[in-house]
Amino acid sequence: MSNVPIALQGGPAPVPSRVGHVLGRIEYEGYLLAMIVVMGLVLTFTVGSSFWSSTNLSGLLLDVAIVTVPAIGMTLVIVTRGIDVSIGSLVGVVAVVAGLAFEHHLPFVLVLLIGIAVGVGGGLVNGAIIAWGKVPPIIVTLGTLSVFEAITYLLLGGVWISNIPAKLTQVVVIDRLGPVPYSFVVAVALVALFSYVMARRPIGLRIYAAGDNPEAARTAGLAMWRIDLFVYALLGGLTAIAALMTVGQSPLVMPTTGQNFELTVIAAAVVGGTNILGGEGKVVGGLLGAFLVEIVEDAAILYHVNSFYQQIVLGAMIVGGVSIGVARRRRRRTEGSLE
Amino acid sequence: MSTTQLPTSEQAPPGGATAGHRGAGALSRLLESRVVVQYGLLPVVLVGVLIAGEILAPGVLSPSNLSSMTRFGVEIGILGFAEMVVIIMGGGGIDLSVASTAAVTQVSLAVLLRGGIELWLGVAISLAIGLALGALNGFFILGLGVPALVATIGTYFGYAGLALVIANGVNIADFPSSYLTIGQGDVVGIPVEFIFIFIPVAIVLGYVTSRTKFGHEIRLTGTNERAALLSGINVRRLRFSGYVIAGMLAAIVGVVESSRFGTAQPVADSTYLLTAVTIAVLGGVDIFGGEGTILGVVLATAVVTIFEYAFSLAQINAVIELGSVGVMLIVVVLGQVGLKSLRSYAARRSSA
Amino acid sequence: MSESSSEPATESYSRPRWAPGASANGRGPRSQTGPDRVDAAPAESVGVSDLAGAPAAPLARLVRVSKSFGSTHALVDVSVELERGTIHAIAGENGAGKSTLIKVLMGVLQPDSGSIEVEGRLAKIGSPVTARALGFAAVYQEPLVYPHLGVLENMFVVGPERSRLGDLDRNAMRRRALAIFDQLEVDPALLGRKMGDLRLGHQQLVLIAKALVEEAKLIIFDEPTSILSGAEATKLFRIIDRLRAAGSAVVYISHRFEDLEAIADKITVLTDGRVAGAFHERPFDFDAVVRLMSGRETRAYDAAPAAHRKAPPGETVLEVEGLSCPPYCEDVSWQVARGEVLCFYGQVGAGRTEMAKAVFGDLRPTAGVVRMEGKELVVHSPRQAIRAGVGYLPEDRKAEGIFATQAISENIVASVLGRIVARIARYVRRSEVRTLTEGQRESLQIKMAAPAAPISSLSGGGQQKVILGRWMVERLEVLVLDEPTRGIDVTTKAQFHDIIRSLAADGLAVVVISSDLPEVFAVADRILVMRQGRIVVSFVNDGSARPEEVLRYAVSAGPEPGRAGGGDHQRARPGLVPPRPQEVSEQ
Repeated sequence: MSNVPIALQGGPAPVPSRVGHVLGRIEYEGYLLAMIVVMGLVLTFTVGSSFWSSTNLSGLLLDVAIVTVPAIGMTLVIVTRGIDVSIGSLVGVVAVVAGLAFEHHLPFVLVLLIGIAVGVGGGLVNGAIIAWGKVPPIIVTLGTLSVFEAITYLLLGGVWISNIPAKLTQVVVIDRLGPVPYSFVVAVALVALFSYVMARRPIGLRIYAAGDNPEAARTAGLAMWRIDLFVYALLGGLTAIAALMTVGQSPLVMPTTGQNFELTVIAAAVVGGTNILGGEGKVVGGLLGAFLVEIVEDAAILYHVNSFYQQIVLGAMIVGGVSIGVARRRRRRTEGSLE
Repeated sequence: MSTTQLPTSEQAPPGGATAGHRGAGALSRLLESRVVVQYGLLPVVLVGVLIAGEILAPGVLSPSNLSSMTRFGVEIGILGFAEMVVIIMGGGGIDLSVASTAAVTQVSLAVLLRGGIELWLGVAISLAIGLALGALNGFFILGLGVPALVATIGTYFGYAGLALVIANGVNIADFPSSYLTIGQGDVVGIPVEFIFIFIPVAIVLGYVTSRTKFGHEIRLTGTNERAALLSGINVRRLRFSGYVIAGMLAAIVGVVESSRFGTAQPVADSTYLLTAVTIAVLGGVDIFGGEGTILGVVLATAVVTIFEYAFSLAQINAVIELGSVGVMLIVVVLGQVGLKSLRSYAARRSSA
Repeated sequence: MSESSSEPATESYSRPRWAPGASANGRGPRSQTGPDRVDAAPAESVGVSDLAGAPAAPLARLVRVSKSFGSTHALVDVSVELERGTIHAIAGENGAGKSTLIKVLMGVLQPDSGSIEVEGRLAKIGSPVTARALGFAAVYQEPLVYPHLGVLENMFVVGPERSRLGDLDRNAMRRRALAIFDQLEVDPALLGRKMGDLRLGHQQLVLIAKALVEEAKLIIFDEPTSILSGAEATKLFRIIDRLRAAGSAVVYISHRFEDLEAIADKITVLTDGRVAGAFHERPFDFDAVVRLMSGRETRAYDAAPAAHRKAPPGETVLEVEGLSCPPYCEDVSWQVARGEVLCFYGQVGAGRTEMAKAVFGDLRPTAGVVRMEGKELVVHSPRQAIRAGVGYLPEDRKAEGIFATQAISENIVASVLGRIVARIARYVRRSEVRTLTEGQRESLQIKMAAPAAPISSLSGGGQQKVILGRWMVERLEVLVLDEPTRGIDVTTKAQFHDIIRSLAADGLAVVVISSDLPEVFAVADRILVMRQGRIVVSFVNDGSARPEEVLRYAVSAGPEPGRAGGGDHQRARPGLVPPRPQEVSEQ
């Protein structure tokens, strides 16, 4: 009953108002962009000099990059009707492994590759239990959250790793393309890549289909387990990239590295318009959502708002983002049935 | 609407397994038996944990250890009850915000007490705050239609921030000494909060969830939401009150916790959530709704408490202990899912 | 029994015949003035080698396929040949096995026995994927779509066109889709829309186009016109005509005679899972089809229909006026009196269930008034309806009726919990639960190991009794039973009919929604026939109404101007104009 397509409800629907009609033409991403621009303008006119300072701006862009990269993966996971709350502690694992590898003076690029491999591995564990164990994703990732935390602790052995090579910080934070840190360029490039994958590659089509109507997808013979493995492993890999960026940003690995990071990423994804019920969501929404979340945070810092309020705002953005999404889809349903 | 509905498999065996499938019938009977259905493999696990505990930390079950253990178990046990109530009602019910709710209530209690308010009134107000936060969860989930999972991730965050704001980011320590009895006193060696809070809460909740109309209805709703609706059960109101109850239980935990430590901490204990959910599912609460008993959750609380306590006695770090709880959670749910499919397989075999 | 297993395949076209598959259980259909009858030949196993060599083997052939669910025999020895360039209609009442037949063909279900041959070779259709690989496609009544994906994407989720780099080649897909849209006369603008924004009719057209894109050789339509307007149906027929012309084998499942009249080349009638008859040449003798369809469980008609109607019904309890719940039902008015059994007969999709749910507060009607004992009754939820004294036993027992893992006693007291709690302590009184359960166990003769056993341990009939028991412990004025005996064995069915009569005798107003004609005649005082969301006719069940007439109203447009096909229909079969009903209006 519940997965009957929306248009089944048929029947006469209220004629949408003219305003509603015009607004309906604008894509959700347009609103997000507008909100970011408005936030930017407000900041410009109030605390313009500090907002446009190159330290603030590049710091903001780096923060956006760190959230955006895993938000791409989170978007895909949510599109398949999943969720992953373990990525915060996965950040910890990757950071520690990378830190240890640096301590052993492994080649720079090899360390990066090892870090990403660890992330993919963690994601594969989640994906495998979800795909084959038929355990709800929230339970699986709640469990692995603490497992990853324990692994981080074990590997750290109670000490902090602080001798991260300056090269990482150089690459992540200092090297820039104009005013834009390379990390942000990487994030944008990944967004472009996965926008392309989701729009133009067969796997993208299959991911959308699997989340939109799992029953239909299964009947059509799509290998659902492959899709699960793919999205969770991808999220793991992207999380690893974010972890490496985090280590570059603050070259210190400690047991709390990455804590609560998953919430920011989930916030970015749902604020970015991904349908929490699956089947819908754009990778670029993750970027815009991350931007909005981070610019709000930046504003809080610039206005010297108590940092405690930031958490409240973030929570409100998650709940607000999803309820706007629910309302938006409800409205579209009544309009859609006009046909 | 349901033209393509299959005739359902109707033949079911009240001992009616044919000779050829006697084995499957026996298997099916075993799997249907009350103990297995309600408590899963809990008794086995409990014995296992006791043995493992003794090996890991000899003398773990000494009276003094048992006493501190019960103190330790009160908070996670009550949070387990909270998760039980919302998970039983099905529809993807879960409350990830309980630890933050507990943080808000304890810091507001501390602030109130510092302001010179009467102890009992302060406690009453903080319980009311827990109720209100639970109601807010309920509003987001049932009023705005936000899935419970995401709504309570959001409020987990939001309430955590609220706690920090109320406490201005620091621990508050100036509780009156009378208040500290709740979490530190004992009666003939048994912790006060165990006798006067945990036991009464367990009894009341056990009564409410097993004997009252509410208890019957949450189980029915979790089993089949549509059938519940068509039987005249007010599903939305029921689920809403579930989140309110969860909020209140979290508030109780906040009060007990701050009394035990003698300080109110605005930073929520991040281990609480995982432990609470683990206790609930380990206690036989079906993650998809419809099943679960307080007795099971109490047993599971004992298991997890002994487990964690043995870890800490053996001086194993808390993070690793938590990691083991995480493994336990996944394994238990895997077992639940596996048991279910085994059960339906056995039923199919014996009815074929 | 098979149509052709004992004859060379080549001869199978040569003469019209119908195979009385029913003889397998010794109860053949009654002698009819239908087409020639061929006595069932004893079954012989068919060697694959024979078939492989046979020229012009049909595209697909079911040979003595059987499928049971527990005690329900959904298909019994069904043999059908599906040929290229032929529209083969499968007709039958609800529950006759049509859906099971589709599922077996589409690999969703595996037959218990019998075989399927495709192009002369034995084929095992183990999964939907295999079915698709064989070139089978099905267009279901409720389209299985991806609502948030575009129409084009919906058509190419599996096997999309790719560019050299492996990208989705949307231009190539669009070209292919447009070629087929053009062929089907579908508006190309649809291609840019989201699937969920389309009307059901259009979704269906897209799925047909999808089947063609996948180059399906056998296309199954499951009650396709039940969601279409008259004009859309006409268009669909044109499309199906073209499919036939292009050499596809078409299976058309329907109970609408004007559909069959319009397009079918052959008709196979299924009754109780058996092939009751087959018509291989036009024009079809629809009188015979009706007789075959209504011929199920013929014994049930033997009961003197009016025997139990001694006392005149009491005063009107529930009155429904002008109830509309689009798109399911439109301007429906009826009333039911104390002590009366009112039956709604009709085919699936006629809107009976939705109409009842609108009265019960589960669906929101857009117009209409419901009155209870003269007073207007407004309900927004089942809860309020129950309080007002209306009960509803749902059609889909598993999805909406039972609490599968809960105890039998729990299932019985589910809706009366508030009434049996102790005054102060508010606990549910176990003694009351026991009394109520035992009461129903006795009066409904529910066979159970213990009241604490889960309801899923009962047979289907037992489960249904328990849910009926749930309503018996309520204080009701009106009880609506939606398909109360679907999938239930004959003995329990008869018990149910007795129970329904005795409920009415006790003063309850009983509304029965049933697609089972013998059942309707066994229990009804009055029969309302619904068709396409409207009440088309009303009969008094006093012996003057004939099953064939009732069925005819349910499956074809009546003499009054109905859908587009109505006129043709009369012209084609003048003999089929239904006789004047005894009572056309409500009064």
